[in-house]
Amino acid sequence: MSGKGGERGERKMETGIAAVEKVGGRSTVTRCFSKYPLKLIVPNKVGSSKTDAVWIYTLSYGGGIVSVYKSVDSKCSEQVLEARIGRNALLAVIPDPVTCFSTARYSQKQVFRVFSDSNLVIVDWITSGRHESGEKWEFELYRSTNQIFLEEDQPLFLDSVLLEQASTCSIAERMQEYHVIAMVIILGPMLKHVQNQVQDEVKKMMSRHFRVPTPTAGHYMRSESQSGPTRPALVASCSAFGPQAIGVVVRIAAVTTESVYMFLRHHLATLEPFLGVIPYG
Amino acid sequence: MDCDMEEMSADNVKTSPADHLQQWSQWQLLDSILPTGGFAHSSGLEAAVQARFVVGPEDLKFYIIQVLENTGSLLLPYVYCASKFPDVESWFKLDRLLEATLTNEVSRKASASQGSALLRVAASIYVEIPSLKQMRDTYLGSGAASFHHAPIFGLICGLLGFDSSTSQRAYMFITMRDVVSAATRLNLIGPLGASVLQHQIAHVAEQMTKKWMDRPVEEASQTSPLVDIVQGCHGYLFSRLFCS
Repeated sequence: MSGKGGERGERKMETGIAAVEKVGGRSTVTRCFSKYPLKLIVPNKVGSSKTDAVWIYTLSYGGGIVSVYKSVDSKCSEQVLEARIGRNALLAVIPDPVTCFSTARYSQKQVFRVFSDSNLVIVDWITSGRHESGEKWEFELYRSTNQIFLEEDQPLFLDSVLLEQASTCSIAERMQEYHVIAMVIILGPMLKHVQNQVQDEVKKMMSRHFRVPTPTAGHYMRSESQSGPTRPALVASCSAFGPQAIGVVVRIAAVTTESVYMFLRHHLATLEPFLGVIPYG
Repeated sequence: MDCDMEEMSADNVKTSPADHLQQWSQWQLLDSILPTGGFAHSSGLEAAVQARFVVGPEDLKFYIIQVLENTGSLLLPYVYCASKFPDVESWFKLDRLLEATLTNEVSRKASASQGSALLRVAASIYVEIPSLKQMRDTYLGSGAASFHHAPIFGLICGLLGFDSSTSQRAYMFITMRDVVSAATRLNLIGPLGASVLQHQIAHVAEQMTKKWMDRPVEEASQTSPLVDIVQGCHGYLFSRLFCS
């Protein structure tokens, strides 16, 4: 496999760059630079040495990119990732979920440029906050933008999720009993079997939860008296996108973080031969 | 060709007795009797009911408000831009962008279906705007365009001479109209109750319109992920009345 890894940074302040290319038949880090507050770590060995893959970990000094602190002076904590994935290459972005603390403001943007035979797995997810402290969707603002462009800047996938406390409806009200939302993107010809499996299984899993309510005469919406099945603890839907349905996106809402870890472990397990280990294993 | 279209819409504004005649076109465009097939879609309400996200009248109101918020944040920029620049080239760019932005397959198909129907109807009705039929003839065969609803709606409003503020408000109105209608057909509420609810929510819809109007498409985002997920589940329903 050959291809480039992640390129990180805004125009003015590039804090890190990494490049992965095929050198002598093996995926090799040909460039790796990072400066404070970002650190890129490339462990020597992750998983089987038979697997041709490079793992790059990102860390941020001061508590991690993944935990987002209170905003000061309404400044927004922002991070940008730009990546180019070469022909027949695979990039997997598989982070832990973002956790925004109360009153935090967080914005991230990830831009991926691919060819029609590039492969991409992106997991992008967020939890409701520090459960121990009773925080539930108390941050001020969270914005996550994921964009995928196909050869010559053709927009393939443009998604932006914006969660902002609003007078009409707080984030907690919108999320109800769900504490985690997640998005998984699976793109590329090498991953067709992963896509098919996810689509089939999500459909099977979700179909159980839908039933036509038994109508009483006229309107059935009388009271809470109908005891019956409750809402699913994990709700998900799957959509194909792009020309020839080259990509699949799964969106998930769940009551517990652990259930999403299980979902990811299960559905991304088939990536093990490509990555050397089971993601979230 | 673009110049001709610009002159044409300028003529429309100049020669028609502005407000009065325009109102007839405006009301017809927003009338539920216009055969655009809007009633085949429930904005995910049917799936929400079957998965017990909407169980009582308060749930219904809350659901509709979230649909309006998502419509405002995600689609209003497309209506805005299309109505401000109602030419075919701009429309086509918006159509391609929205195709990539509607990542939810259910809502993407619903949007294309409603947009196509709206363009077909508008091309037949508004014969004083031949560009509509021309556009349709050009792009229908090639498969290059999806004819998404929001840009088509904005384009037609722009070509009819409506200001962009009215166009955006109108789009929110028809969205609300269609979800409320779906609620009656799902037997969640009676026709009178639905009308009462619609009026009750009107000031919220106006708030949303003001909040999300006049933004560039680069800012389009979704704000109600749960609604999006539930709508995406429409394909998993065993028994269904609606297409989405």
